[in-house]
Formats: sequence, structure tokens, C-alpha cells
Amino acid sequence: MTARPAVNAAQLSCPAPVEATDHVQLGHGSGGKLSAQLVAQHFLSQFGNPALAQLGDASVVSVGGAELAISTDSFVVHPLEFPGGNIGSLAVHGTLNDVAMMGARPACLTAGFVLEEGLSLSVLDRVIGEMTRAARAAGVPIVAGDTKVVDRGKADGLYINTTGVGLLDAEFRPSPDRARDGDAILVSGPVARHGMAIMAAREGLAFESAITSDTACLMPLVDALRPLGADVHVLRDPTRGGVASTLNEIAVASSVGVEIDEGALPVPGDVRAACEMLGLDPLYVANEGVMVVFVSGERAAEALRALRSHPLGAEAVRIGHVVAAHPRLVALRTALGGTRVVDLLPGDQLPRIC
Amino acid sequence: MCLGIPGKIHSIRDDAGLTMGVVDFGGVRRDVCLQYVADEVAVGDYVIVHVGFAITKVDEAEAHRTFEVLKEMSQLEELDWMAEVAEASLSLARTPDPGAVQGTGKPL
Amino acid sequence: MRYLSEYRDADIARSLIARIKARATQRWTLMEVCGGQTHTIVRQGLDELLESAVEMIHGPGCPVCVTPLEQIDKALAIAARPEVIFTSFGDMLRVPGSDCDLQQVRARGGAVRVVYSPLDALALAQQHPDQEVVFFAVGFETTAPANAMAVWRARDLGVKNFSVLVSHVTVPPAITAILEAPDNRVQGFLAAGHVCAVMGWEEYEPLAAKYRVPIIVTGFEPVDILEGIGMAVEQLETGRHEVMNQYVRSVRRQGTPPARALVEQVFELADRQWRGIGEIPMSGLRLRDEFAAYDAERKFGVSDLRVTEPAACRAGDVLTGRIKPPQCAAFGTRCTPERPLGAPMVSTEGACSAYYNLAKYRASDAAEAVS
Repeated sequence: MTARPAVNAAQLSCPAPVEATDHVQLGHGSGGKLSAQLVAQHFLSQFGNPALAQLGDASVVSVGGAELAISTDSFVVHPLEFPGGNIGSLAVHGTLNDVAMMGARPACLTAGFVLEEGLSLSVLDRVIGEMTRAARAAGVPIVAGDTKVVDRGKADGLYINTTGVGLLDAEFRPSPDRARDGDAILVSGPVARHGMAIMAAREGLAFESAITSDTACLMPLVDALRPLGADVHVLRDPTRGGVASTLNEIAVASSVGVEIDEGALPVPGDVRAACEMLGLDPLYVANEGVMVVFVSGERAAEALRALRSHPLGAEAVRIGHVVAAHPRLVALRTALGGTRVVDLLPGDQLPRIC
Repeated sequence: MCLGIPGKIHSIRDDAGLTMGVVDFGGVRRDVCLQYVADEVAVGDYVIVHVGFAITKVDEAEAHRTFEVLKEMSQLEELDWMAEVAEASLSLARTPDPGAVQGTGKPL
Repeated sequence: MRYLSEYRDADIARSLIARIKARATQRWTLMEVCGGQTHTIVRQGLDELLESAVEMIHGPGCPVCVTPLEQIDKALAIAARPEVIFTSFGDMLRVPGSDCDLQQVRARGGAVRVVYSPLDALALAQQHPDQEVVFFAVGFETTAPANAMAVWRARDLGVKNFSVLVSHVTVPPAITAILEAPDNRVQGFLAAGHVCAVMGWEEYEPLAAKYRVPIIVTGFEPVDILEGIGMAVEQLETGRHEVMNQYVRSVRRQGTPPARALVEQVFELADRQWRGIGEIPMSGLRLRDEFAAYDAERKFGVSDLRVTEPAACRAGDVLTGRIKPPQCAAFGTRCTPERPLGAPMVSTEGACSAYYNLAKYRASDAAEAVS
């Protein structure tokens, strides 16, 4: 990198005071600095064990000689139904993807439901319908479940928790701490669709668009990369907090520097327009059907071909590479040749006026 | 304060005395208050929208003219272009109704 | 996006940069007073790319971070009331008041909602006749027409449960205050493009003449800003000091007269505190008495709230270019982006926050070089 990078330009105008608060805030769920703080100071400090401390998309545990990947996730999205899917699609795809990001083959899922008194049963049926469809398409059964009902006014209609278990592959073990100097960074498809589809569906911001969520099961893409074996170093699906947050987490976990090209990030035209309108940076917007891949430089072209061979990965593209310089920091090169640091946001990205 | 983006007017209507419209921003549409530009816009015109209000109409002729200059300039090595663009803008700045000024023609 | 994306053309931008550098015979000091322009300059690293020719001082152009502490505290007091739905632009939610911010008020049970437009807040009031809907009317002159229309419309429609908490500031008095400072180093200004789209540029002409500084009405995309800087440099190189318009596609000398007219009818000029700077006379807007029923300060009895700014904050000196952020004793220690004392650290467009993050990068590089 020749020029000194310019400054951190997190899109947000006003960072949250990341100080001791006595109550949970929404920012604690955003995937940014507040989330990291909550996990470290409250959960890890008490739960702490080696498997959990990996902080991967799924944890690796050994049970009677078999090596398993296990992941759990809760889904609280509002609205429950949005263009491209519903909370059920996210609940199944999200957990399947987390298990698959470790290179494991998901074997089964569990699903727990918290239902709000008064929830329409036809909405519930549509949610279950999406979950059934998604699980069947992936060939992964939902083997255990639970349902609770809470008073009207709680649970925003419906909360879902899913847990996934999969068998780890002997050879193919991507992990957030395995990125290395010289790795190519790929993204499997256009970004920022899910987050903007949700924004469009929220009242108060009311805009019409044809943007649909990209929620999808990434197992086929992971399988396409499996032949590259140990050369695939990291796989991660950039959900909350977007590509920027995921790249930061990996840079920190692997203690490497990341450099990406602003122009290379694929953003669909209408998604970009929606971001412009609200003053949001696509780098920080959530995705539900996209994968970030760190692969050794020499095999980047092969990895891209493998991804592009599947419809989900048809628009896969290289967005950057790993460097030894500025470890644990993500730098972005603009079209003009300037550079800036892309940091974790303290909390959620919010629409701005200036 | 500043976040205003250009969009194309898709439709115009009267909402109990307030002129409103649907504006298209590269594929995304939103309801926008057109009251402040009502006298000068029609469907198909571009406006700058800030917090749900059209604050001005985009002068497309001016935009094309000045952009052509910029595009050409980026392909040339002349250093005088800056002075000529400045002169052109200065003459616009001094005129009470810039819309009445004829194009100054290509300076280069 | 038409009339937007083409102004990000990298070839044109690079060419403009080269020409500015070739034209400048000395390093000139310019200031932009617009958060959106600061945002672009910082995101694109324009001041780094122009370093030898131009020093950009980031002026107090973010209305969110210059919103005075007392207005934030008034907002917090109102938002905490059970009968109120407090609505605001998204970027106001995290500005710290004396004690907490709007997000924390929400966490503690207050109804706080982000809206995109003041008309959305008015619609909310019509949908919730049993609640009081308050809108945090923050902004420069760009946003005043929207806020004026919301109040005007509320009165027209007879909506009684709607009010606005006003915290508007205007640009020309801020530029005057900066130019009046005895140690002012700013030699030319980029005027905020959308402020001028509404107001025109007539009020800048006396400033350019009196203080002998070029003022260029400039847009927000990289090509706009570079063209604006180029026009300023050209004037400085030839000893001129006039108002010029770079943002010709959106700005006319008279602005948008119907918008100016309604702002005039609904608001009047008032003295205003700028967070971190202090009071600038006649630099703010407040509701005229005939609209008192829509003034949240009067409605909720918070007009007399007074606060004191933390003494350690030297925001005023930073915003006028007297010191660079690292020269402030509180910089990086008592004052960080997570726990800001003043305006320029609150916003990531602010100079202090920008320097803070650059320093973090440099420290990391230095550590690498050593190891």
C-alpha cells in the first residue's frame, strides 16, 4: 500500500457511547462493537470454555471420537414476512449456513418457537411452510422442537431458535483464524439485498422497491469448494453487520490485514439506490445468502470457477486480498486511489440526514 | 442537512391541497412532497429530494453542458481549462436569472 | 443513478486532482461547512490526495453534532414522558446528552422512533390521536422547508397532538464567526450545495466581498468537490474573491423561492448555541409565536433547561482550525469516539473522530514495522 490511508469513515454519524450501561440496548444485537462487548463481558466471562472461545460460526466439539460442528441461532426479525421469504427461511438457512461455514455437512436441525398470543395461524403456517421447504431442499431433517406461547405484547409475533449439528470434514476445515498473507478474498454474489429488503418493509421508511431478500442455503456453494481442500482457509456468511463486520472479525481472529477494492463489491442497482436514499453503506448491510471466501492466492481463479458453476454463485467475484501490513485492520481502496480504514460500527447502522 | 439525491418524477397528485408525487431513485420509489417545486415540474423531470421533500428541480441542460466539459477536460492536458470554466461559472453567478444565459459554448 | 453516479467518475476525478496540484503555487487552506461534503472528502481520502496543494479544514457542517447539548437534554426529557412518541432522524439517536442518549431512553421504555421525513411524524400523529407525537426538527437551511411544511400542514389539518422540538442552525453566521476570529487561517470556502439549493447564494456575496475570500457553492460527489476546490484555487491564484457556483445542476442564485417563503412564515432568526463552539448570534431558527401550539419546548415546558458543556472540550478551536485534534489534551484519553466530550468527536465526519481513527491505523502500522 503506497498512500497512507485516510480515516475511518464508518457511515454512521454518531457512534454509541460504548461505556457501561445498565440496560440492554438495541445496539447490543447489531453485530458491532457493542455486541462484541456484551459477549465478552457477560457471556464468555461466565460460560468460557475452549469450544465457545473459538467464536466461529459453529463450534467444534468432539463426542465419542466423532468431530461435530454445532451452531445455534435465534431469529427475531421484524416484519415476519418480507419480499423473498419470512422468518422461517432465515431460521433454517441461517443455521444450515453457520454449520456449513465450518466445512461440515449439516446432519439435523432443531427448532424452538416462542409464539405471541394472537399470532395469526395462517402466518405461522406460512413460516412453517418455508422452514419445511428449506430443510427438505437441503436434505436436513428437523428432528426436535419446542413451542411456547407468551402473552400478547411479547415476542413481536414470533421468535424462532434453531440449532444445527453437522459432521466435520477431515480435510476441509475452514476457520476464522486461518486467513494468511496472500489469500484472495472472494464474495459469492451481490450484497446488501437482505438488509435493504427489510428496510423497505419497515414502516417509517416506507419506500417501494423490487428488492428481495437473498436468503438461501449455501451448502451447494460450500460443496463446490470442497475439492480445494485445505487451500480454502475461511468461509463466513456476512449476516448482521454486513461484509465489513465479517472482514473485521476474520482480520482479528487471524491477526492479518485485509485490503478490499471499493469498486469490486457487487451491489445491485436498486439496492445501491436505496442505500443512497437512506445514507447507508452497503458494506455494513446484512446478507442472508452470500458467502465470503478466503482462499490461497494461487487457487483463487479455480475457486471462482467453482462458485460460478452454481446459480447461487453465478456472480461470484474477487473483492480483495490479505496482507501482512496493518494486522487486524481492514482497509479499503477507493476508485480514486485513496484508502480508508473500514472499522466495526459501535451499533446498528441508522439512516442519516447529513 | 445535505443528504439529497436526484430522482425522477413518476407521478404527481394532489393530497388535500398538498402537491405530492412518487419519485423514482434508480429503481426505488418513494412518496415525495413536491409542493415547493410544483410550479416548475412535470412527470419525467428530475428533482433533488431531501427528507421526503423536493427542494429543487435538476437543471438537466446545465448538468449535461458542464459534464461534457469535465469529460473532455479529463482527456486533455490544457491547464487553461480551469480558468475558462471559472469564467463561465462567474458569468452565470453574476446573472440574476442564470436560466436566461445562453450556453457559453465549449471553452476548449 | 442519473445525476449522481457520473459525478463519481474516477478518470475525471483523477484529472481534476492533477490539475489542482499543477495549478497551486502554494498550499492553500480551505474549509467546507457541510457534513455531507466532509463525508465524501474523508471517505475518498481527497485531502490526502490533494495534500501538497490544499489543506482542508472540516468546518462545523454537521447539524447533528452541533446540536447544542441543551436541545439534546430537552429531547431526552420529552422522550421519556409516557404520553409521547418521540420521532427523529436516525443520526440523532446516538448523540450523547448530559446523561444518556435517545437510544438509552428507548432501552428504558421510552417510545422513540426513527423516521425519514417530518411528514411521516405528522402521519404518525394522525394515526395515534391519543399520544403526543414530537419531531426533533434538526438541520441547516436544507431541512427547514420540510420542517416548516410539517408544522404548516399540521395547523391546516387541525392536528393538535403534533409538535416539533426545533434546533435549526444557519450557515452564513457560522462562516462569519470563523472569519472574524483573529487567528483565522481559512482562505476560501466550499458552501453547502443543498443549503444553497434552498437559499440561493445571495447572502454569501457580502461575505466574499468583506472578508476577501472565494466562496464556491459546491455539490457532494467527488467530482463536485474537486471541481469546487479547483475553482477556489483558481481564484486564490489570481487574487479574486467572488461567489461562484459549481453545483449548477441544482443551485440557482435565488434558490427555491417558495421554500424560502414558507420558512420565513413559520420560523424566525434567533441566537443559537453551537455545541463545542458557543453562542453565535442570530444563527438559529425558532418557531414564530403564532405557531406556539406546535412548539414542543413550550408545550412540554422545557424552554428553560440550561446545561454546561464539559470544560475540557476544545471543539471550537478544532472547528476553526486553530489546533489539530491531537493537540487537545483530552484527545484520545478522556475524549474518544465512544465517549465523546464534544461535537467533532461525536460524528465520524468530525475532525477529532477522523484523526482518532487515522492514529489507530498509524499505530498499528508502526507496531508492525517494529516487530
